[in-house]
Amino acid sequence: MDKEALIASLKTIVKPYIQDENAFNNLNENTDFIADLKINSANLVDIILDVEDMYDIEIDNDAMEKMLTVKAAMKIINTKLNEQQ
Amino acid sequence: MIGNDIVDLKQAAAESNWQRKGFVTKIFTQTEQEYISVAKNKLATLWRLWSMKESAYKINVQQTGKRFFNPKKLQCTFFNDTKGKVVINTHHYYTVSDVNTAYIYTEASIKHNENTKSTCFKIKNNTYQTQHISCYNRLKSEVSKALKLEQNHITIEKNSFGVPKLFYNKIPLNLSLSITHHGSYGAYIIVNLDSINN
Repeated sequence: MDKEALIASLKTIVKPYIQDENAFNNLNENTDFIADLKINSANLVDIILDVEDMYDIEIDNDAMEKMLTVKAAMKIINTKLNEQQ
Repeated sequence: MIGNDIVDLKQAAAESNWQRKGFVTKIFTQTEQEYISVAKNKLATLWRLWSMKESAYKINVQQTGKRFFNPKKLQCTFFNDTKGKVVINTHHYYTVSDVNTAYIYTEASIKHNENTKSTCFKIKNNTYQTQHISCYNRLKSEVSKALKLEQNHITIEKNSFGVPKLFYNKIPLNLSLSITHHGSYGAYIIVNLDSINN
């Protein structure tokens, strides 16, 4: 999936959970969900469930373990999408 | 090393839908799911388990230098209504939780009976940034009084694992601590300052 489109769709997913408006406005590949966006870690579970729903993929615990940044999330989504093809 | 975590139950109810499909199974082990299902107060039990995991993780990340997000890997056991244990791979952490109708507060340590002191307090529930600042100021004020240091020269900086450290005139104070806030509640835990002062 196209990088820009992926970032844009991730942005809509994380929006309800962010607690730092500035970091959200500057969201990029290197943005950290917890350190930058100040997302409550319980809500990180919601983000993972939202990603699963939106892309119709399953994120197992091993993949989830790395999902701390936008870059990691993008990599996981692309890997899972490719596996399905 | 110490860790702590607070869950404001009202805030948690507003932020998280724990009955959402996949939520419980992504976070909790089979044993933990059983604790929740047999509990009289399911929500309090669920958030107690969560705060145990969070507080233990805060120590684990300092020991291993590795951040990760996999709540199921942090495996909880209850000893009684307040005490418990969290196992992360080969590491063991002991927890004590204060469970009441407003919040759940858990402190974790590597050893039993570590000489530490926790302080919980009410904060204004507005933005993350103001909650964060109120907690930092409370802690600085306590350190300033206990160690007779000027508060304006005390700073708190997070290291790359998000672990807060205290400095006086930019020199590390090497005091083990942990800070947490959620909704209307904040708390910090720090090594007993009286034992350092004298």
